[in-house]
Amino acid sequence: MTEADAHMDFDLELEPDDLDEEAPEAPIGDPCLVVDDLHVVYRVVGSRARKEAEKGAEVREAQTKPSFVKRLVTASRQHTGGVSEVHAVRGISFTVRHGESVGIVGINGSGKSTLLRAIAGLMPPSSGSVHVSGEPSLLGVNAALMPQLTGERNIMIGGLALGLTPKQVEERFDEVVEFAGIGDFVYLPMRTYSSGMAARLRFAISSSASPDILMIDEALATGDAAFKARSKARIEDVRQNAGTVFLVSHSISTVEAMCTRVLWVHQGKLVMDGPTHEVAERYKDYVRSLRPVGRKGGKGGKGGGRAGGRNGKGARKVGVGGATGS
Amino acid sequence: MAEQYGLRPLNVRPPLGEYIRDLMGRWSFIRVLATSTAYARNQTNYLGQLWAVLNPILNAAVYVLIFGILLGVTRDMGNSIAFIVVGVFTYRFIESSVTGGAKSISGKTQLLRSLHFPRAVMPISTVLSLLATLIPALAVMCVMVLLSGYIPGYQTMKVTWWWLLLPAAVVLLWIFNTGLAFMMARAVATTPDLDNIIGFVMRVVMYGSGVIFPLAGYIERMGVSDTVKGILGAVLEHQPVAVYLYLVRSCLTQEESIPQSGLMWALGAVWAVLFFVIGFVVFWRGEERYGRD
Repeated sequence: MTEADAHMDFDLELEPDDLDEEAPEAPIGDPCLVVDDLHVVYRVVGSRARKEAEKGAEVREAQTKPSFVKRLVTASRQHTGGVSEVHAVRGISFTVRHGESVGIVGINGSGKSTLLRAIAGLMPPSSGSVHVSGEPSLLGVNAALMPQLTGERNIMIGGLALGLTPKQVEERFDEVVEFAGIGDFVYLPMRTYSSGMAARLRFAISSSASPDILMIDEALATGDAAFKARSKARIEDVRQNAGTVFLVSHSISTVEAMCTRVLWVHQGKLVMDGPTHEVAERYKDYVRSLRPVGRKGGKGGKGGGRAGGRNGKGARKVGVGGATGS
Repeated sequence: MAEQYGLRPLNVRPPLGEYIRDLMGRWSFIRVLATSTAYARNQTNYLGQLWAVLNPILNAAVYVLIFGILLGVTRDMGNSIAFIVVGVFTYRFIESSVTGGAKSISGKTQLLRSLHFPRAVMPISTVLSLLATLIPALAVMCVMVLLSGYIPGYQTMKVTWWWLLLPAAVVLLWIFNTGLAFMMARAVATTPDLDNIIGFVMRVVMYGSGVIFPLAGYIERMGVSDTVKGILGAVLEHQPVAVYLYLVRSCLTQEESIPQSGLMWALGAVWAVLFFVIGFVVFWRGEERYGRD
């Protein structure tokens, strides 16, 4: 994964002030997004799935080779012409209506971000379909920005990349700078910014286009409390204008604060889909079950999520089994 | 249900007409992306944008030193420095369009996976950014051509009315290069391995197109029958890269072996349109697959 992705992978920590909030209601309208039996398979050129990995269904070799290959050949094949497949999203279906704000939760590597990119139309599905009204926009303008250039120039590049006209960008320039709260730093190259400033500018640029469907991939993580409040208000704006918001996170508290509905994704499949409080309860139970024994009540979702990776597969399966059972 | 509410499917390649219209609407994005890339390229050096000019000068100087002075392969030319300088500057634009076009999709997976726009924006802006760096380099090229005329033993170069045709040759070359970049972008996006071969192919093309020395003498001396020589000579002389080199040289230099030629101008236009149209269609047909590994 590249740098652009890496910074998106922040944990959204449990914020005490998020805990007691509930996302406000907005009028719910007609369907604006229909996802039907969506499958996404990555092809990874240049890496060969190892035999051990093939046992698990997530990563397997794309081409099947004859089993009688000499050891030398096998050894060298490991480094040449490898094509692996990652089945990241496996058969997800749902419908979203105007004005809904949908959270997608799941532990690291569960397929949340891939699902989001697929419904944004950026990752072609291998089967199934996505239908939308309006233009979905993933909050991912950072890939278009150039760190060597000034914030001013990057606002123009980002705005145009989002489909605005140069005139529209100029009109919104002051608003973007104010929203990002970076002041005169906007005239310095972006590589001189602190990570918080850069993240705020990126959020400001990408939300300036006021899209029909706004998709956010854990971008609110960087930024102080004041900025968080401003971003929340921006998200509410989109919803009130009959837009739809998607928020991907593995921290349930942010999702609880911002969303009315939650999709829980695990290993590429939809485990649960329902109102925030119902799914949130089950997800919290599940995350708790992943924690290492003897460290009860760790503070916040971060500890739980990270522990999941280290924990054995047994615990994971118990958790999911319990949740699907309901 | 999707149809009932007027939803449209995602990830379906738009029809060609709609695609072109969409692309035209993104012209300002293409332009800003191109100029920004061109500017950002040299932004972290002390000499900054000066490198856009210094780089091709040094490049040309090396070829002049080795081929023009040490090896003397261009002795039958009136002004070998002008011949090599024009060849190197022009060919560099073609070569970097091919390598840049090849990476314009495969190297930008991150961008393609986060934003929605007609993917043809990428190769077009890559070539446009190269054109933006070429323009100051062209001015330097003209100065170098003129100065080379003052060196004793080299034919004197004059500014003629033909110099006014230089922009026309560059525009044809730009259109041709964009077409090439489309083809390379699609090819490398589907088969990343090709990227490794491009460098070698481009070097063969360089020597096979008379960038540094004219090929005519070498074909004469080959041990094959006259018909083969004739065919080989005609092919090498009328292939696109050689045609564009010819056009730029015929504008700038007064070599007796390179007179202005209507046939070459016509060929230049034909190659440009042909490569652009075919390249564009080839690229468009892969549209929905870009950004996927």
